[in-house]
Amino acid sequence: MRKSFVVWVGVAAAMFVIAPFLVVRAPYESTMGLVQKIFYYHAPLGMLMFLSAFVSGIAAGLFIFNGRASADRISLAAAEITVLFGSLVLITGPMWARKAWGVWWQWDARLTSSLLLWMIFVAYLLVRRYGGPGSDKLSAAVSLFGMANVPFVYISVNVWRTLHPKTSVVPTLQPGMREVFWFCVAAFAVLYGVLLALRVHLGAQQAEVERLYLELDDRSELS
Amino acid sequence: MTKTHRVKRLVRVLALVAAIMAAAPLLAAAWQQPPGQTEAAREGYVPVKDLPAAEQLPAAPLVLGAYAVIWVGVLVYVWTISRRLASVDRELITLRRMIDTRH
Repeated sequence: MRKSFVVWVGVAAAMFVIAPFLVVRAPYESTMGLVQKIFYYHAPLGMLMFLSAFVSGIAAGLFIFNGRASADRISLAAAEITVLFGSLVLITGPMWARKAWGVWWQWDARLTSSLLLWMIFVAYLLVRRYGGPGSDKLSAAVSLFGMANVPFVYISVNVWRTLHPKTSVVPTLQPGMREVFWFCVAAFAVLYGVLLALRVHLGAQQAEVERLYLELDDRSELS
Repeated sequence: MTKTHRVKRLVRVLALVAAIMAAAPLLAAAWQQPPGQTEAAREGYVPVKDLPAAEQLPAAPLVLGAYAVIWVGVLVYVWTISRRLASVDRELITLRRMIDTRH
């Protein structure tokens, strides 16, 4: 496990060293020019944010119905990474929009629903941190709502009139852009796996600490 | 080698890897050709330099800023995890010692 983890860290590092060079070599988009290069990191981060919300939601469902502690740890880890990736999406998007649209932010369907998705997972972490006893089940329910929100965020650009590019952009990417884009998606997917494994390991260690405290209490009562 | 040392070593390796990864976009930016020189740009793309000066917003700081924000975010997150891991490992060692002494 430890060796394979180090290998995956190396793979992620190598991919992120190569990625910027590929991004630089990719053709310029006709109307936006240089600023379109933000897309190669922004869009994969958005895709991984959606995936992470699903991982958190599915694990939360397993925790609610089966009571598996390992599922709860995965759900928490994925929720944290959803907030991280969501924050990065919400920061890098406006940096692109400022140049492409002339404004930092627009209250359109995609941007607003993405912000709501991010807020749901921030709520998950707040409930988890300050909710007291039973907050694990309560936050798992919040995670399920977050997961349910993902399809709405995804289709929002097709259903409502928005400034944000539609979902058809990725499938119709030009050769030269397409390979670079999917390489970046793969790099972020590996990074996501590494971060998730690291955070789940932290959760397992914290659970072990709690178990040892209980064991210590039991021994104190016996003696 | 104790577990704490192993964690510290892992954190150092992660920090080094992260620093290399963060430096890559800067190297790539330095290596970048001027936009007008690419084949795609020669094939009829709108030259940004033709816009009136008042309407031009430099894209490079936004692009570099976006990439920097991503790396700062990821690095800060890895740093928080490594801190929490180190703290939990210290607590684990203390607890195991306390349990052993009560045997």
